[in-house]
Amino acid sequence: MSTALNQPHQMTAAASLRGIAKSYKHFRLNNIDLEIEPGTVNGLIGPNGAGKSTIMRIMMGLVMPDQGTVSVLGQPISSREASAKQDIGYFSDDMRLYKSESIAFHMQFVRSLFPGWDEVYAQQLLDRFGLIAQQKIKGLSHGQRVKSLLLLILARRPRLLILDEPTNGLDPVAKQEVLSELMQIVNDETRTILYSSHNTQDVEQISDTITFIDRGRVIASNNRDEFLDGWRRFKLQAPQNWQAPAIDGLRPESTFGNLRVMTLDRYQAEVEDRLQSSGATLESSEAMTLEEIFVAAVLRGREEKQ
Amino acid sequence: MNTQAIQILFLKDLFLSRWPLFGYLAGGMLSAMVTCLPGETAGFIGFILMVTVTIAAGIHLIGVLLLAETIDMTRTFVMSLPVSLLDYSIAKISVVLVAFLIPWLGMLASLTVLIFVVPEANPGVLAFLVLIFLFMLAGFCLQLVTAVVTESVGWTIVVVVLGNVLLNLFIKSLYEHPVISALAKSDVLSWPPVVLQIMAIETIVILVALGLAFMFQIRRRDLV
Repeated sequence: MSTALNQPHQMTAAASLRGIAKSYKHFRLNNIDLEIEPGTVNGLIGPNGAGKSTIMRIMMGLVMPDQGTVSVLGQPISSREASAKQDIGYFSDDMRLYKSESIAFHMQFVRSLFPGWDEVYAQQLLDRFGLIAQQKIKGLSHGQRVKSLLLLILARRPRLLILDEPTNGLDPVAKQEVLSELMQIVNDETRTILYSSHNTQDVEQISDTITFIDRGRVIASNNRDEFLDGWRRFKLQAPQNWQAPAIDGLRPESTFGNLRVMTLDRYQAEVEDRLQSSGATLESSEAMTLEEIFVAAVLRGREEKQ
Repeated sequence: MNTQAIQILFLKDLFLSRWPLFGYLAGGMLSAMVTCLPGETAGFIGFILMVTVTIAAGIHLIGVLLLAETIDMTRTFVMSLPVSLLDYSIAKISVVLVAFLIPWLGMLASLTVLIFVVPEANPGVLAFLVLIFLFMLAGFCLQLVTAVVTESVGWTIVVVVLGNVLLNLFIKSLYEHPVISALAKSDVLSWPPVVLQIMAIETIVILVALGLAFMFQIRRRDLV
């Protein structure tokens, strides 16, 4: 689970990012603090260009941050270090295999670098994913290419999986096959997953903890259930001069005549009573989906920044 | 430094470039044979073929082994494995150099043998050819450093074109040099000081270019 950095830690984090910043010409990653506890599944949700991939690349040592420190599986990580990567499986949507070579060639290549390569599991994954080892990469569909990469990662039995948009562009069947495989890994409590997507449904399906990121900033990070329980949308009928009660985290979302739609990110049972007693008529109090929470959190984050 | 990882990466790249390598080696050795056929025309055609094969091998191998990793995004895959930037850089620069040296040495070795076997050939020409071959190797190393620094096909081609122009000027100046042009017609192989001096300069350019290529590669901050 991602935690705030000022909380005491009971165990060594699977990954820890402190004060990470990285500037590009048209984008800046701002002061990212992220702590990932071992044995958890962490979802990183953000719109395209939010900085998810940059964070993951920094965690893999593929990109050097301008400031801040990163440690993964207890070791500082940079492009100069290779040992931590022995236990990390990294997938990126823009990662490619050698197109003129076969899946078998890549299996052989990866096996030669990983003493812990599990050949039996690799063969099972070939069958489960419907892949043919002798098939050349250039002849594979997008879904088969994604599955081949996942096979090459999973058969190493890594302790930490960093998956950058693994289900992007997959058809529903291929997506379910990939998610099912990840669900099986989730059952092993010694393994940690960091999973990024702009598809909230995929992340919601497997994650224990969710972090929202937008425009290079972490805007919210919490346990999935606490996210779902903590956010509410209220529809109220209120007169024009109505003043919303001072409730922490209550924000207007939209207004249609006397109909006010408001969202709250720190829901407690007495909130409905306070809204009713403020002179408004509560029409509904609805739980929000993760996607709605994400959109609301992003818009709030942007408003606060302005 | 992980020597096992370096070896695995090196062999992987050599395997990936096996077909172009066979092609350039065969083409180069065939060109060397044409050079030693009787008649000036055959010699001229063979020489042009050798230069063409060397230039083509250089740009092709840099493209396949170095630039393609960036363009095709296979470097992300390689660098996600337990490989440090130092391991990657040593393996990459070594394999590009070795891959080029295979046809380069194949041609030079074939020429050396043929020059001493074919009765019509003048052994003195070998010193002249070594100067040209070292010049082409130096040109290749400059292309390599350009590719490493810019990761751009365009800039690498600019250096190839410049190198080609300079090669022609270099050959022309060798022909115009009285001592060196005399070597080409000599029955005796000799290494006059001017030849050794040019060879020394070429060797320095090669070593500096390789050093720069390596230095720029290991100082890279972002790999994607």
